[in-house]
Amino acid sequence: MPVPTAGHTTESLTTWLAERIALYLKRRPTEIDPDVPLAEYGLDSVAALSLCGDIEDDFDLVIEPTAAWDYPTVHALADHLVAELAAQDGGA
Amino acid sequence: MEHRPYRLAEEFDHYLGDPHDPGEVFSYARCADLDDREEFPADICRRFEEWGLPEQYVPVEYGGRLRDYEQVLQLVRAVARRDLTCAIGHGKTYLGGVCVWVAGSAEQGARLGADIIAGVPVSLGLTERAHGSDLLAGDVRTDDEALDDSGHWLVSGEKWLINNATRGSVLSLLTRTRPDGGPRGFSVLLVDKRELDADTYRHLPKIRTLGIRGADISGIAFDGARVPKGALVGAEGAGLEIVLKALQLTRTMCAALSLGAGDHGLRLGLDFAEERELYGRRLVDLPQARHVLTGAAADVLLHEAVALVAARAVQAQTAELGVTSAVTKYLLPTGTDRVLADLTGLLGARAFLKGVHADGRFQKLVRDHRLVGLFDGNTLVNLNSLVNQFRSLVRGFRRGTGDTAGAGVACDLTAPLPPLDPSRLSLIARHGSGMTASLPASVDEITRRAARNPALAPVAEAARRLLAVTTAVHTDMEEYQGVLTEVPPAAFEAARRYTLCWAGAACLGLWTHSTDHVRDDPATGPLWRDGLWLHTVLDRLLRRLGEPAAAGEETYEDLLGALRAARTEGRLFSLLPQRTPERQPATTGGAAGGSERTSC
Amino acid sequence: MLIGTEPRGAVEDGPRATGQEARAAARVAELERRLGDPTDEHNELSYARLLAADEAGELSAAGERALDELGLGADFVPRALGGRLERLDTLVRVMRQVFRRDVALGLGYGVTSFMAAVNVWTSGDDPQRERLARILTGGGKVSVAYHELAHGNDFVRNEFEARPADGGGFRLHGAKQVINNAERADAWVLFSRTSPAPGSRSHSVLLVERAGLDPDSWRVLPRYDAVGVRGCHLSGLRFDGTPVPGSALVGERGKGVETALRAFQITRSALPGMAVGTTDTALRTVVRFALGRQLYRRSVMEIPHARDTLSGAFTDLLTCDILSLAATRAVHLLPEQTSVFAAATKYLVPKVLTEAMHELSVVLGARFYIRDGEHGIFQKHLRDLPVLSLGHAGSAACQATIIPQLSRLARRSWFSDEPAPAELFQPRTGLPGLPYDRLTLASGRDALCATLVAAVDRLPDASPEERAVQGLVLQLVDELRQVQEASRALAPEDRTALAGPAVFALADRYAVLLAAAAATGVWQQAARDGGDAFLADPAWLAAVLHRLARRLGRRPADLPPSVAARLHEEVLRRFRERTSYDLYDTPLAG
Repeated sequence: MPVPTAGHTTESLTTWLAERIALYLKRRPTEIDPDVPLAEYGLDSVAALSLCGDIEDDFDLVIEPTAAWDYPTVHALADHLVAELAAQDGGA
Repeated sequence: MEHRPYRLAEEFDHYLGDPHDPGEVFSYARCADLDDREEFPADICRRFEEWGLPEQYVPVEYGGRLRDYEQVLQLVRAVARRDLTCAIGHGKTYLGGVCVWVAGSAEQGARLGADIIAGVPVSLGLTERAHGSDLLAGDVRTDDEALDDSGHWLVSGEKWLINNATRGSVLSLLTRTRPDGGPRGFSVLLVDKRELDADTYRHLPKIRTLGIRGADISGIAFDGARVPKGALVGAEGAGLEIVLKALQLTRTMCAALSLGAGDHGLRLGLDFAEERELYGRRLVDLPQARHVLTGAAADVLLHEAVALVAARAVQAQTAELGVTSAVTKYLLPTGTDRVLADLTGLLGARAFLKGVHADGRFQKLVRDHRLVGLFDGNTLVNLNSLVNQFRSLVRGFRRGTGDTAGAGVACDLTAPLPPLDPSRLSLIARHGSGMTASLPASVDEITRRAARNPALAPVAEAARRLLAVTTAVHTDMEEYQGVLTEVPPAAFEAARRYTLCWAGAACLGLWTHSTDHVRDDPATGPLWRDGLWLHTVLDRLLRRLGEPAAAGEETYEDLLGALRAARTEGRLFSLLPQRTPERQPATTGGAAGGSERTSC
Repeated sequence: MLIGTEPRGAVEDGPRATGQEARAAARVAELERRLGDPTDEHNELSYARLLAADEAGELSAAGERALDELGLGADFVPRALGGRLERLDTLVRVMRQVFRRDVALGLGYGVTSFMAAVNVWTSGDDPQRERLARILTGGGKVSVAYHELAHGNDFVRNEFEARPADGGGFRLHGAKQVINNAERADAWVLFSRTSPAPGSRSHSVLLVERAGLDPDSWRVLPRYDAVGVRGCHLSGLRFDGTPVPGSALVGERGKGVETALRAFQITRSALPGMAVGTTDTALRTVVRFALGRQLYRRSVMEIPHARDTLSGAFTDLLTCDILSLAATRAVHLLPEQTSVFAAATKYLVPKVLTEAMHELSVVLGARFYIRDGEHGIFQKHLRDLPVLSLGHAGSAACQATIIPQLSRLARRSWFSDEPAPAELFQPRTGLPGLPYDRLTLASGRDALCATLVAAVDRLPDASPEERAVQGLVLQLVDELRQVQEASRALAPEDRTALAGPAVFALADRYAVLLAAAAATGVWQQAARDGGDAFLADPAWLAAVLHRLARRLGRRPADLPPSVAARLHEEVLRRFRERTSYDLYDTPLAG
């Protein structure tokens, strides 16, 4: 069931992303520094494409599969998602 | 039913003449000779150009005749059926152009189209000596981050193991345009060697290979080559994305090579089994040999059905091509390698010796085809890309989402195909696979038909079993949907099983959507009636999924009947009718006691 | 001139003599030393040089010279006749050192001479045996000619004739094809029709010496070009009434089929294990590649699938060596039973090796396709390996040897026979001499499967690995039960080469079970002995049985993770320490 879109902050999305990426990488979420490029953790670019499916699942938000290429850190991606969610709410 | 892609392929095949006739340019004898001498089949490629094959590589909007990818599939298959070296040597021009079709400007497309139609070889420069399929490790780079004063990039570095690197005049080059690389650090440059200063690049020596010995597989090294800014294909930094999308097209089209190889191998196996005597009987009458031969025949049809649907899905289901292409590129090369290995057992010494049987064509075929599994992403790359999509595939299957309407169009041979819209290509299939999502409906359909036609009952039963296995495979996949970096071997196994399920869904879809249109054909209708080909194909798939058999010997006997009928009637053994250009269904000649024909 | 260990003057050792093992190890080490490190480009027997010879369609001259100096021909000659041959498993070990470098050299220099000679050792008279021993110990070659292309496996229909002539001799008529060394051998063993009547009493084996033949009445046919073993001199012979003396007849006239079938029991047992050397090299090549190559920011070896594939190939090599060990030692210990063991070995080992090479090629990626450079030897071995499965030794021919025996084994042997003697499974224990006279065409006995059945109640279950082994053995015994039921139910028409595919599949399953049984036996003995820490560890057995169970179409439970870790560690250790990927852990030159 999608998480309600209202009330997402960069912080809450950062937490969500770190948890999800930690799951992919078999690490603890606290090990994921939100300002370090995901590739440094060994998340290769093709694997990063899978994130968009998870985001769509949990936030009902359709983003480009390559979002993680253009916003290559947890922080950058969280900011992007906040903007996208806002745009979606605005458009709805 | 007249199916145009087969008709044009037949025309082309007849234009090329009888391959047994050593007087023809494109004869088996000539290909064997070129292979021995490791010489590029230049004169044969000229025949293709005379007929107009290059136009078929160029989309209509860029001045060519490429409208339906199904057509290219059948044309390249016709070449591959005679000789894989020629198919790969010439077909690589298509590969070289795809990045431009996917992301180039109209002007780039028109210019490249004109070059290709004029017979200019084009190649694709992706791989490097130290990095193989790891594209993001590429070291070919622009020396400065930006253009120089005169609007040129300075390109340096080496691409290696490149088809047509030496012969090709134009090269789609994946280039590092940001020193730190990364997914946005690469761009595709359409490098025209004719415009480069000759001092700034050199060709690397031809690489001696196990098969495809005549092809130009070499490399190219740049040293500050000045490439004009207009060479950039798509956006700067979009190189990886463009290449991955282009590979979806080429991986699907690689099916043509495996189909041609399967056609050729099966024909050699059948002819040998019909001629050969052992234990006082013809080989084809020994039950075990018959079993090997009919199993190979069923696999050849399986591959044809998958390729047919996949090639149509390029246009009908473009957004899911990431799945379609990975399944096809995994299944057809590995499946065809296996068909050839099984037939090797049948041919025995004649698969090993060069001059004894059928110009040594079989051993050449086996060597040549081993390359098909390697290029444009090998077995592991393709399975890995499926593992990366497990999450959306599982979710899509459960919800019945994905482009099911597109799957229907891909499976209905009478449905017109929409033109390819490259902007719909997507790096992942976000809603899953419409092909597997359509499986329950196809199972219902064949079950309904079986209620009216009892002969279909065992086929419908096999289809229901396939659905049950497919559901179970998705449960396995769910377990691995979170593994992206340390992909365990069991996840590859789940992906392998998924490809078999996808193939089953495609075959069942093809049969249910098309049989009413094709089953009355006097030549190939018997394969469709009562679900004959589908029955054997589902049986093969279920066995490979570790399930009990779904068809007995009697079904395979019927298939053998169809195989022999195609041979005696001068037809290709295929799902749709196509005549072969051999002047008579002659024996392949001199099988027994052929020591006089050995070379020294 | 000979630098080989002095073969003459030895006396037959007792069955438990340690002298055999010392001699075997010394001989293997001697070969390794002389042949040198194949990855060293300065070595005249480097892979690069061997590849160059292959490209030129020649046998490596340096290789032939080295084997001449080593006196390899004597390894095919029984000790009693002045040679070094005392144990078949030792011959396999010795030849493996040649095969790991070059199949063409192994075959072209020696193995076909051995295949020819075995006919004479099993069925020849004393003068023939002495004559042949002199040829081989003197560095000469002997060809074997069973094959006629027109008849393939079905050699009973061979047409090449030795027509009985006045005075007890024969006249040779006709042609034989695909003969190794035909043009340079000192003698040929010719499988010949000595009666026009159909059936199995119309053929005889002749040992024909080249010297003294009427030169106008015979010729060597043109050489064949082949995809593999390109250095081998494969050609044919054509005779047109050539007279040969009666003393050429090996064994009795009309008993040629039996002679050949008994010789096959020895050659089919021994050849596949030699080829284990090719896949050992292939694995070593891919391990080197995987450790050195960076992909996606890590070495290929760190990719779980690659690691798993390499461990799988090592597991397959152990399986193949074990089946080969059991079959070759059975010739000494259970000669009456070797017919099926030999056929199963010749059927299964090349198949498993070929599949392992295929899986390894996936890890090697595009490099496997390149004919020269650091990994070029891989594709050469890949091209060469199929030669072992040609003609009378083809898969279908071997299955056809097993099929007629299945129903008798089902009724008389399985679940009732005595387990094999412990020595069968001890790679380094001495053996009695080769009892050529006790080889029989079929016995209906199978002590190997009995070992598997007996193991059920004897296996320990203390560790997770041991429990995994126990579970797998139970499944395999269940499989044997099913094979037994199906074999009992075979109709008479299903007991020949004309049998249906389900029966061929039964022969396949049986061969897999024999491998599983042999592996279980080897582990039991190694665990008891404890001398080899790796072989005594149940981890490898769990891996072997798991792969065999999967090959049988079963989906056994996942193994404890420690198994994969143990195998991976061993793959790396043997690579670093340069020892062989087989039962012997033999130190290698490279």
